[in-house]
Amino acid sequence: MRSAIVIRPPHRWTVPDLRELWQYRELGFFLMWRDLKVRYRHTVLGALWAIIQPLVQMLIFTLVLGRVIRTPSPQIPYAVFVYTALVPWTFWANTLNACNYAVMNNAGLIRKVYFPRLLIPLSALATGLIDLMCAGLVLAGLLWYFKIALTLRALLVVPLILILMLTALGLGAGLAALAVRFRDFRFIIPFIVQIWLFITPVIYPAQLLKSAWRPAYYLNPVAPLMDNIRAVLLNLPGDWRGLYAAVGWMVLILLSGIFYYNNQARRFADRL
Amino acid sequence: MADDSIIIIKNLGKQYELDRQPQYDSFRSALAGALTAPWRRLRNKLTLSSAKPRSLWALQAINLTIRPGETIGLIGPNGAGKSTLLKILCRVTTPTTGEIVLHGRVAALLELGIGFHPDLTGRENIFLNAALLGMPRTLRQARYDSIVNFSGIADFLDIPVKKYSTGMYVRLAFAIATHLDAEILLMDEILAVGDTAYQQQCWQRLTASAQAGCTILLVSHNPEVIRRLCTRTIVLTQGRVLFDGPTPDALDLYHKILRDSQQPTGTQN
Repeated sequence: MRSAIVIRPPHRWTVPDLRELWQYRELGFFLMWRDLKVRYRHTVLGALWAIIQPLVQMLIFTLVLGRVIRTPSPQIPYAVFVYTALVPWTFWANTLNACNYAVMNNAGLIRKVYFPRLLIPLSALATGLIDLMCAGLVLAGLLWYFKIALTLRALLVVPLILILMLTALGLGAGLAALAVRFRDFRFIIPFIVQIWLFITPVIYPAQLLKSAWRPAYYLNPVAPLMDNIRAVLLNLPGDWRGLYAAVGWMVLILLSGIFYYNNQARRFADRL
Repeated sequence: MADDSIIIIKNLGKQYELDRQPQYDSFRSALAGALTAPWRRLRNKLTLSSAKPRSLWALQAINLTIRPGETIGLIGPNGAGKSTLLKILCRVTTPTTGEIVLHGRVAALLELGIGFHPDLTGRENIFLNAALLGMPRTLRQARYDSIVNFSGIADFLDIPVKKYSTGMYVRLAFAIATHLDAEILLMDEILAVGDTAYQQQCWQRLTASAQAGCTILLVSHNPEVIRRLCTRTIVLTQGRVLFDGPTPDALDLYHKILRDSQQPTGTQN
């Protein structure tokens, strides 16, 4: 029997159709592949760009914060200390921006072709994940150079990145939908991301933030994540209480972000 | 009777809000709008002015039943709602009222070469575009050679499409689109391109699809296209169905509408 498709005016709140998303997984893969391919096609350095961004940031922060200001970094060379958190931070920051640009860049598609709109932030996330892996390889090299041995605890980085990923997806999608509704957010998002770095323990130890104002650590969805990713990789003491907060934030942000995006996405074609 | 139809459209309507969007375009004005809302509501109540947002019904009270294998033309002056109807049918946008039931897979071509990326090669774009239009992988692999043959660009497959001529670009796009194997094909003004020989090829391809049982819904401003392909034609004006029946009658009516609209006002009523 032929399957019937029924088209009706949308309800106020709809649940994302995960089965349909799965049916379109190949398109998601193609969108990611296209973005990767196009991004580096006319560049001389190609995929090296994925590594250069956090690497240059590391050099600058090491020079300014490590050498000049002498930011404390417990028992670890500052360069390694800052890079272990800069890698997930770059992933986070790029994903938030990429979701926003991806919706704008695919406006032509959205106006003319039907596909589950969630594929757009999802493929932006996946593209960022590839960059994350490249930058992760450099981190491995750096750890080897400074003779820092990974312990079994380092395996915990996988679930931590997973939490980071889902939080980034929720917030990235939500902000991208807001940017379609209110143009201002196109300018606000990069600005938020820029400021956010300084209220997150990436370029300084979490202890500094906690001693300044303790709630700042728990109210920031990514602060415990950056802190704990660094802790498990460099075998430093972590903050598991902060992790509970981060998981709570993840659930909240993921659900609300995806629901908002999904509901706004129905009108993308009329608004973009 | 309704059981053997492939598309059933009941009381379909689409409303675009014209005022609200620019007004709330920026976050600041939305914030201001939300803050002043109670005051505005009060004032409206006092003055009894209906300050409803101005809206436009792009489509209204559309009822259609289409049987499998029909090739239907959709004509009407600009702004009649033809493209909106296709957009709703392929789920790019949502209706405001009514319901549509589709018994079959839909392939929609609202624009040729949509999703083509200029920096990707012809070969890469075939894969991307086919996935975008919902062609399953097995079908794509089976049809790849046929797509390349039909498009006639076999020698240029590894060149970025931004270096293609318009003709090549369109041929590749059309080739992919007509290899989709969907039961319902929606097309918006896409036959007006390419040279005559290629257009001939397109005719044949479309006619073959129609004969194979594909249901085709075709928007065109070109009466010749409609006359040659469609047995039944729907005339839309101002979002409503003005006429639904045999193509020659529909075209006569359409020409009459065009003539009337060209004449200066004053002759009406």
